[in-house]
Amino acid sequence: MSSAVVVRQLSKRYGSVEAVRAVSFTIEAGEIFGLLGPNGAGKTTTLECLTGLREPDAGELSVCGIDVRGALAAAKEKIGVALQSTALPDKITPREALRLFGSFYRESVAPEGLLERFALGEKADAHFDTLSGGQRQRLALALAFVNRPGLIVLDEPTVGLDPQARRDLQAEIIRMKREGHTVLLSTHNLEEAEALCDRIAILVRGSIVAVGAPRELVARSSARQTVTLETAPPLDRVRLAQLPGVEDLQGEGGRVQFRTAQTTATLAALAALLERGPAEVIELQVRKASLEEVFLGLTRSGGAEGKGGS
Amino acid sequence: MKGGVQHFTMSLRLHFRNRTALLYGNVFPLIFLAVFWVLYRHEHVPLLRHLGELLTVTVLGGACFGLPTTLVSERERGVWRRYRLVPLPMWQVVASTLAARYVIILSAGIIQFAVARAVGMTAPAHPVALFVAFTLVAFAFMGLGLVIAALADNVPAVQALGQCIFLPMLVIGGVAVSLASLPAWAQHVSAFFPGRYAVEALQQAVTGHGLAGMRFSSLALLLTGGAGILAGANLFRVDAQRRSAARSNKLWLAVVLAAWCSAGMLAETHGRIAVATDEERGPEKSPTAVGAAAVVPTPPPAAAPWENISAQDVAALDFHVPSDNGVVAPIAGPDDTPDDSVEPLLERVRQGLPTWAPGLTGDDAQRVRYLLCAAGVPDALQQPAERFLPEIVLQRLVEVYPKAKLIKILTWIARHPEDGAIVDNVEALGVTGAVGDPELVRERVYLYAIKFVARLTGRGTR
Repeated sequence: MSSAVVVRQLSKRYGSVEAVRAVSFTIEAGEIFGLLGPNGAGKTTTLECLTGLREPDAGELSVCGIDVRGALAAAKEKIGVALQSTALPDKITPREALRLFGSFYRESVAPEGLLERFALGEKADAHFDTLSGGQRQRLALALAFVNRPGLIVLDEPTVGLDPQARRDLQAEIIRMKREGHTVLLSTHNLEEAEALCDRIAILVRGSIVAVGAPRELVARSSARQTVTLETAPPLDRVRLAQLPGVEDLQGEGGRVQFRTAQTTATLAALAALLERGPAEVIELQVRKASLEEVFLGLTRSGGAEGKGGS
Repeated sequence: MKGGVQHFTMSLRLHFRNRTALLYGNVFPLIFLAVFWVLYRHEHVPLLRHLGELLTVTVLGGACFGLPTTLVSERERGVWRRYRLVPLPMWQVVASTLAARYVIILSAGIIQFAVARAVGMTAPAHPVALFVAFTLVAFAFMGLGLVIAALADNVPAVQALGQCIFLPMLVIGGVAVSLASLPAWAQHVSAFFPGRYAVEALQQAVTGHGLAGMRFSSLALLLTGGAGILAGANLFRVDAQRRSAARSNKLWLAVVLAAWCSAGMLAETHGRIAVATDEERGPEKSPTAVGAAAVVPTPPPAAAPWENISAQDVAALDFHVPSDNGVVAPIAGPDDTPDDSVEPLLERVRQGLPTWAPGLTGDDAQRVRYLLCAAGVPDALQQPAERFLPEIVLQRLVEVYPKAKLIKILTWIARHPEDGAIVDNVEALGVTGAVGDPELVRERVYLYAIKFVARLTGRGTR
């Protein structure tokens, strides 16, 4: 696969604040790539530099083989963008908006096809200020497709949408993947990133602290696994707490939950304890760390534990 | 280019689809028209001498409020940020926005002009010059609008900044209050505001000397507009959160102010503060009435020689004048016979006209204008002989001038009703009384000029 997007050593500073610091990543053609991070991590600045909204201080950016900094207009021909909130004049209709934005590009898709694809046919001639949030966001997606882009950039596309509209939009992103589009998705919704993205990059304080497929990140992570145990009669809590690796012991009566970073050692010690006592095991469950836990671990530690990937 | 054209047409469509924008952009200027009408309805040609002021207010509103309000509200909502994502150069989007705004302002001006014509305003003397002047005024104020849009962070700030510019121009900038009625210091101050040059350029096109008379105003408008466009383009921002550096703001603001100051200094050094205004608005300042016995001052040279009047100019006259049988500018029909009581006066006028001093003035246009006063004054005074005197005056004119020449001179007078001097009494011809309001006589002169052209060319009046 060839790289649709290459970002190398991207840096951007606002006065004394270093918003993005030597950020590098690549996105392969046909891949859905997620940019994750807490507020102020540098996601938006990275997207803005890539789409031409901001001029980077340093670094190389290319989209579909075109140097963004050297040939911005040509690069923009290849990029379709759906911003977080779609901003259009109140009285423009979806059909007119698609025709207008199509005219800004050398190559464009006829509005009718896009209206149909994004289920906007019935609202094709309605004024923008009468559209619902979901319809506006579908129109934003349609506008992102108007130039047959090589890269689709979605900046937190599901923020502020109701559950149904969010599900519809996520289904649309999955459809993009099926059709082989390359998508760069900025989000802080971890479930969304896990469900939609082939790979994700986690940004913390302007730097990428981890890149990889969600499962890989979890596997690589040192985040604790969660153990749930139910016995009758209950085990002595003091002894449980003294088992190797046990942290955050919680629960009442016979059912307890704790986390451990040394799963094998903890479980071996737990088995020995159970052998000694009269207690019968009713339930024993070991659950791997979630992406959320990985994310929280990385953002708390400032990325010290998660460096890796490309 | 295709994108710029599409954006231009879409901007227009969106404006004319938006009721609020239509109300402020196209209907609101009509309120100013109504106000001007109420203030100046008594003048002999309604509104004509104030069209420059009226159109300037319209352009100011559209360019210094309408344009920046649209730009800033769209910027606040992120519309311009969205445009930034497309490959079309931003200058094309800005240029198409300005072009659309020009058309919107022009449409407001045309509506205002059409309504003014419908309520009795006569046609401007130089329509092409009027279009040129309007375009220059729009250019100058749209530059200013761009600067306001760049400096204002939100729509309320646009209103505040706009008012800071709008109100001084209205009051001491010669836009809404006649410069002649302002103290000398205010006339000097007004020279540093583009509003003064806007009014001057437009009024020169309407009642003055056309393109030839608006050279200085045009230069001032180009200077201030160019500086505004340059500063506005450099300060333009698509992001509401991202402001230009304070130093950059000050620098470009200084460029704009330097242009205003340059225009003012040029006006000062070229003696255009008061004298130029008097000349350019000549008819308002030149003697409007002199006694019949007084030595008649030589009027200023005509804006363009009446010799240049063409058949098309004659045909273009507005022959919608009051009926000959009406109260205003009546003319007796062939079957009307005067009472015995008025016969002596008619005879005295007939005998007196060839030696009447104003009727011997060297300047042909002025001479005819004075002779027309001999019919106009009795009409304004509602003398019993009023309907019979026009025929005597016409006979005198035909005696003095060849028909073709007379038609040209009369057409010239009808096309330049504000030009030249008039008399408000003709007691030397035996008509007792003075009109008091010379503008009433000027109106009659205008109407008789048209009626005489109609007779001489075989046209009817309607």
